[in-house]
Amino acid sequence: MGELLTLPLSWGSFLTFVLMAVVLLLIILFMVTYAIYAERKILGYMQSRIGPNRTGKFGLLQTPADVLKLLIKEDVIPEKAERPLFKLAPIIAFVPSFVVLATIPYSENMYFANLDIGVLYYVALSGLSVIGIVLGGWASNNKYSLIGGMRSAAQLVSYAIPLVISAVGVVLMSGTMNLMGIVERQSGWFWNWNFIPQILAFVVFVISAIAELNRTPFDLPEAESELVAGYHVEYSGFRFAFFMLTEYVYMIAMSALITNLFFGGWHAPAPFLEFIPGFIWFLLKFCGVFFFIIWLRGTMPRIRIDQLMSLGWRVLLPMSLANIFVTAIVMEIIKAING
Amino acid sequence: MKGLVKGLGVTLRNMTKKKVTYKYPDEPMKMPNRFRGVQHFEPEKCIVCNQCARICPTECITLTGKKNPDPESKVKLVIDTFDLNFEICILCDLCTEVCPTEAIVMTNNFELAAYSRDELFKDKEWLTANNTNVREENNVSLLKAKKGGAE
Amino acid sequence: MALRTEELLLNVGPQHPSTHGVFRIVVKIDGEIIKEATPVMGYLHRGTEKLAENLNYTQIIPYTDRMDYVSAMTNNYVLVSAVEKLMQLEVPERAEFLRVIVMELQRIASHLLWWGTYLLDIGAMSPFLFAFRDREIIIELFNELCGARLTYFYMRVGGVKWDAPDGWIEKVRDFVPYMRERLKLYDDLVSGNEIFLARIKGVGRYDAQTAIDYGLSGANLRCTGVKRDLRKDHPYSVYDRFEFDVPTRTEGDCYARYLIRLEEIKESLRILEQAVEMFPEGPVMAKVPRVLRPPEGEVYSRVESPRGEIGCYVVSRGKDSPYRLKFRRPSFVNLQILPKLLVGESITNLITILGATDIVVGEVDA
Repeated sequence: MGELLTLPLSWGSFLTFVLMAVVLLLIILFMVTYAIYAERKILGYMQSRIGPNRTGKFGLLQTPADVLKLLIKEDVIPEKAERPLFKLAPIIAFVPSFVVLATIPYSENMYFANLDIGVLYYVALSGLSVIGIVLGGWASNNKYSLIGGMRSAAQLVSYAIPLVISAVGVVLMSGTMNLMGIVERQSGWFWNWNFIPQILAFVVFVISAIAELNRTPFDLPEAESELVAGYHVEYSGFRFAFFMLTEYVYMIAMSALITNLFFGGWHAPAPFLEFIPGFIWFLLKFCGVFFFIIWLRGTMPRIRIDQLMSLGWRVLLPMSLANIFVTAIVMEIIKAING
Repeated sequence: MKGLVKGLGVTLRNMTKKKVTYKYPDEPMKMPNRFRGVQHFEPEKCIVCNQCARICPTECITLTGKKNPDPESKVKLVIDTFDLNFEICILCDLCTEVCPTEAIVMTNNFELAAYSRDELFKDKEWLTANNTNVREENNVSLLKAKKGGAE
Repeated sequence: MALRTEELLLNVGPQHPSTHGVFRIVVKIDGEIIKEATPVMGYLHRGTEKLAENLNYTQIIPYTDRMDYVSAMTNNYVLVSAVEKLMQLEVPERAEFLRVIVMELQRIASHLLWWGTYLLDIGAMSPFLFAFRDREIIIELFNELCGARLTYFYMRVGGVKWDAPDGWIEKVRDFVPYMRERLKLYDDLVSGNEIFLARIKGVGRYDAQTAIDYGLSGANLRCTGVKRDLRKDHPYSVYDRFEFDVPTRTEGDCYARYLIRLEEIKESLRILEQAVEMFPEGPVMAKVPRVLRPPEGEVYSRVESPRGEIGCYVVSRGKDSPYRLKFRRPSFVNLQILPKLLVGESITNLITILGATDIVVGEVDA
């Protein structure tokens, strides 16, 4: 797919690009549908119950049925809500989540854009979704959603910083921000994968990623039991489906990013297993990270907003800064030893 | 950290254990025999003593009797209409507890949702026809008499 | 230039997932800090005490089931014991033992429900299902015994309605070790969890004198160090024959109340074991007249329900229905401390404190 990027821009190649983007969108929608199904089933199994199993065989048609229900619902907009902002908020929240998928390489040959600033692009764009959430909270004209929107703005902004700084440790080790390059430096055995040398960055990154995704234990903006669904309490039907879609597409994108940054992307754990296509390894690791995020949801209680802030600024940020120093020092020492 | 990891272990181990979901609409749920469901009425046994109507805490039973067309039997009145307003019945089973002839007894039927409120006004025909899953122990004093008599 | 901020008036409204029923708190918040909190009760008022003036004593008992629907057996007992005191009735031993077994099982069921819903409010979803799984076993036991799953109507003036069916006592005996294992699982899942401890420790603290001034009872009082349990201080039924401890802690915060309730489940299991061992034979209902007419007089009878001290005050004028029936409901009294306790807390802590007070709105409003 990389060769496609080097074609001269003509109507034919433009249509090819648009077609591939549409195909990716459809694949992502399909994956989100079954990600929701997987989450419900896994949570059910953890709670001694079967998840959905009546709609369709094994409940496979449950999410399409839910999506259909959401789509045919009446479009309710509260009377005093700001209509243009209310309608705009889900779109602003969703578009960055889909756009960041372009920078992630899924295997050696499957990538959409080989950006040299891949990591930075990802974090910058995911910050744009915050605007959508805050707009949704404000435009709903509801005190609960306002509080939810404010909490979410504080949370997403504070956790974007440890996210980026812990990724800097990985960038230092790999020497490039290009995601393809980062993955290529992790070839070989599984102890080359970045999560072992960069264990501190790994822990900080995973915690910040879960906070960025608004998932338990950091799901205050949509705390179901306090704020009755926080910033999307007034949204129903299709617009609510957009917010849900945003959350799940981000989960997919973030799991893919964690796989690429820390688990070696499409490389096998051992060189003799390289005959299995890289995409399968990518998928397996991606599913492992995804399962871990769902597992946390089934187990942990929610953290309080002031504890969240103090965790982000007073624990994660110093840890990630310390990680950069240690990485830089160790790299200089290794360079000095090697001559 | 240790507490968090222990919690994660509990949920992970629980994934392999047996699930507790009942396969409810596919397999019927069997209630124990003493379960208090909707009532069953047998008009032949009723002697129109009005005890059930008097004891009902919400006054949901209304009944009328008529003179017994059979002049030989000792029973003076037979039941003419027997209405049970199921909207306000609280299923307390006091009516079955006081009925001296066990004319009104409870069944184990609990699937009683209806599409219209009219269907919740149970009359004599409905209550007589509702004779599945009838409860065995109803009036406790009669039960002791039966047991005492049998021995 | 000073920044102008305004206070926001927020309705933690009658419809809310965490107020455990239709209960409303009107809070004035500044940012996330509560400046003033006013509970508004009465959304579930059904007029039980007024209705009781027209009903027989036996007819009132189903109404008491529905007051505190989570622990219906203790409600039945408080009314029945008040009338028995007035009429000076002697209840047979087997009936008393059945009553104790049933009330202790009810205490375990109520605390399990509290645990599950409290953790759901705090954000963890799985403990709710584990708690309800175990509660289902108790409810099945009650279903076999008296025919209903939630509103039992089991006790009568002078005894209980049904005797235990065959095999029921063995099932209760088998339940005790099963529940002990499950409690270990609950401790692993939740009690050591650092996030949970950070949420709960130090929140909603009050001291013993405040608790006594506001008339709190149950775990809300015992968390401050006051060792008061009606089953030990004013024993009723046959509780004086059993050996059990009263868990007490001194911190006075939500964590103390949490631990006390889990300990109470363990103590209830101890009582169950002993009661099942000592279970006598005999009748289950005393000889009572067909129409109950207590002599003229007044009586106040009280019982340790899972929520605190529930009391029933009966004024009888010799007729078959009471002249006045008043219930002292523990959740109503326990809520009175809320306006004082919530000032200065954040909204998240409001939910934590409200959950730890363990209210049932059916009881708050009667």
